[in-house]
Amino acid sequence: MSRSAATASGYNFAYLDEQTKRMIRRGLLKAVAIPGYQVPFGGREMPMPYGWGTGGMQLTASVLGQDDVLKVIDQGADDTTNAVSIRAFFERVAGVATTTATAEADVIQTRHRIPEQPLRRGQLLVFQVPIPEPLRFIEPSEEETRLMHALEEYGVMHVKLYEDIARHGHIATTYAYPVKVDGRYVTDPSPIPKFDNPKLHMAEGLMLFGAGREKRLYAIPPYTRVESLDFEDHPFEVQQWEAPCEICGARDTFLDEVITDDRGGRMFVCSDTDYCQSRVEEVA
Amino acid sequence: MRWNALDVPVHDSQRVYRQLLSVMAEPGTFVEVGGTPQPPSGAAIGAACWATLLTLCDLDTGVWLAPELNTAGLGEALTFHTGAPQVGTPEEADFAVVTPATLEEAAPAFQEGSETYPDRSTTLLVVLDRLDTAGPWHLSGPGIPGVRRLDVGRGEALMKRLATNRARFPCGLDAILTCGTRLSAVPRSTRITRSASEEVDACMSP
Amino acid sequence: MYVAVKGGEQAIANAHRWLADRRRGPRQTPELEVAQVDGQLRLAVSRVMAEGSLYDPELAALAIKQASGDMVEAVFLLRAYRTTLPRLAETLPLDTAAMRIERRISATYKDIPGGQVLGPTYDYTHRLLDFLQLANGEVEAPATADAVLESCPQVLELLDAEGLIEREEDDGAEPYDITRDPPDFPVDRATRLQMLARGDEGYLLALGYSTQRGYGRNHPFAGEIRLGMVEVEIAVEESEAPLCIGEIEISECQMINQFGGSRDAAPQFTRGYGLAFGHNERKTMAMALVDRALRAEELGETAAGPAQQAEFVLAHADSVEAAGFVSHLKLPHYVDFQSELELLRRLRREHATRCAASSDSGAGVDTDIDATTSVDQAQEQQA
Repeated sequence: MSRSAATASGYNFAYLDEQTKRMIRRGLLKAVAIPGYQVPFGGREMPMPYGWGTGGMQLTASVLGQDDVLKVIDQGADDTTNAVSIRAFFERVAGVATTTATAEADVIQTRHRIPEQPLRRGQLLVFQVPIPEPLRFIEPSEEETRLMHALEEYGVMHVKLYEDIARHGHIATTYAYPVKVDGRYVTDPSPIPKFDNPKLHMAEGLMLFGAGREKRLYAIPPYTRVESLDFEDHPFEVQQWEAPCEICGARDTFLDEVITDDRGGRMFVCSDTDYCQSRVEEVA
Repeated sequence: MRWNALDVPVHDSQRVYRQLLSVMAEPGTFVEVGGTPQPPSGAAIGAACWATLLTLCDLDTGVWLAPELNTAGLGEALTFHTGAPQVGTPEEADFAVVTPATLEEAAPAFQEGSETYPDRSTTLLVVLDRLDTAGPWHLSGPGIPGVRRLDVGRGEALMKRLATNRARFPCGLDAILTCGTRLSAVPRSTRITRSASEEVDACMSP
Repeated sequence: MYVAVKGGEQAIANAHRWLADRRRGPRQTPELEVAQVDGQLRLAVSRVMAEGSLYDPELAALAIKQASGDMVEAVFLLRAYRTTLPRLAETLPLDTAAMRIERRISATYKDIPGGQVLGPTYDYTHRLLDFLQLANGEVEAPATADAVLESCPQVLELLDAEGLIEREEDDGAEPYDITRDPPDFPVDRATRLQMLARGDEGYLLALGYSTQRGYGRNHPFAGEIRLGMVEVEIAVEESEAPLCIGEIEISECQMINQFGGSRDAAPQFTRGYGLAFGHNERKTMAMALVDRALRAEELGETAAGPAQQAEFVLAHADSVEAAGFVSHLKLPHYVDFQSELELLRRLRREHATRCAASSDSGAGVDTDIDATTSVDQAQEQQA
């Protein structure tokens, strides 16, 4: 764990002004009360580009306290450039302690993964979301998709998934795989691999989703039913690998393929670097 | 008679907010607010309710105060400290500060949101004289592993009103429950049933 | 043995140092001063202020310098700074009729009360590179009029008096504020104009142009284009008269378009409106064309052209949003890519199995494949 010395002068704690934080905080309470529903919020420009996690950052900035320990990951790793950059931002503007250890963190901001270690009660997992609307690629108009959610008209989504099956023999969605939250809202889990979808179901921590450019936030409370959409004859299934992680030997984690030379050599290693490392340390 | 603001607004309101988020995410659990100002004598609301108002309200939130709770100058103090305008009718309110009695008989009409914008609804801030576990009300749904039990004293009208939420979901009312320094919440996603066996105990409780 | 790539933090710091060096350029030439950008690249400053939604020429100039002249990046810098500013007061609506005119032209009348004032324009310059500027030649002072221009009535007011053009009246409604609340489609005209005013100039230009070429044609005339200084006023509780807090440079364009009207309402010219901070003529003209195109539904026209699709036009107009989302493709996506790889390999294995099976049996391609079975087969093969 590391603590930075001082926060940047001239800016409020955690960058956002208090009125903006209150607006987002009120929105998050509604989001929690209506699991999976996308609450519109007055997203602000952040000093990082849209699409680089501004939604997640605004949520983190609104919930973060001075005694919190923060972890930031991208692709499951703490040392990817975007994660490094966002972690450095909060060290600078909030002076909070940061960690790479999943268990030590109070707030975890993530892009594209859910840590392998299950969330514990009281932990907050903040997702960066590019396109919050799961129906967007079927129906581009916001006016229309809002109505579809209101009327619970999700047939088109099943048609789309079934078209995949007709064409490929499988549902061809491998990430950002749509879920139904508490039996009501079809929701985009952010572009996590579908491997992570089961971790959304009855999780013990609170999961918050922020889409800065699209100005939407939503939530999945702890202990909430989250089902990945599927069909009786084509049940939802997650990715599997033939070999274990080459570093820690894990057989139940999401593996990244790493190209090791220009002759087709490759290896598979855990995408969750903290999980992988802690397993190696356990053995040692 | 003085209504005090939060000592260190940035950090105190963050702490109270995380407590609110926690009870909203896990309905029927409790937290105690600490280090927040005590309302003056003659006030009808407790420290948890006052801290919640200071944390969530500002120029952009209309607040409706049930007349019986607007004592000791609460209304003026709220506007002075937060800038929140007080609205004349419950349906204009983003936040409504009420007691279970407010919801009895000619219950005021609050905003419950629409099918397309269910979030545009009133949040109830309920002042209770009892808030405990092991009561007759059984809560289940998101945020609750299995069932949690809740005792809200003479809160029959409140719980009946909240129990109707499910039929109207996603429209509905979310309630933040307060009693002294204690906070809890029942969002609209919660299924509420009353256990017949405990009904007797509830009636006998003071 | 593979070791996860470390040192992202150091790499980022080094990239920033390199960037700073490139921005500064060769040290033997003097460093660009912000005042030079402000004073000599004023059209760039205007564009950054308009799309950055902040009137501050000095900071816009700083943003241009810091961004090495990348306008979209400069707009982003200014916009990000703008977000951190407290809102101290709200101004009264600007009165552009009371503008101190620098330039004012109309294409709809030969002469107009107050006169056609060309002002500082590139319009009639011959686009020949001026090689003298390579050597920093002297520039003579402009000829100025002896008398200050009288206030110039707006050209559309002339038509208005005759009832030939639709009236635009303030209904007194509190306008929606796109900087505070997300747009809630469909949005009203005030909201649309706010979004267009900070929209990307190139994007609006292309859309406006498309309406001229027939994709949602609405027969525009440049009724009036004006440029100059207007007073910014706020209402103060203690005083009855509004208080002037300064002047800003504004460009305004009013397009006159073909008729609206119905069985009940007499035919009238309709309007498209463009407004921007600073000297931003092309932007305001494009904005006025697009504004008019977006009024198709309201005026009972068939919305067929891309520029008439309000949600499409407005949701993609902001360069900060657009540049951000396009650039995010540079971020690592290897987890999702891995998911796609895994599926693609599986599909290809199954395809190979099917092809082999069908050529063995000599039968036609089996079109009704039981996918579950084929997955099992694929997995058996792997094992």
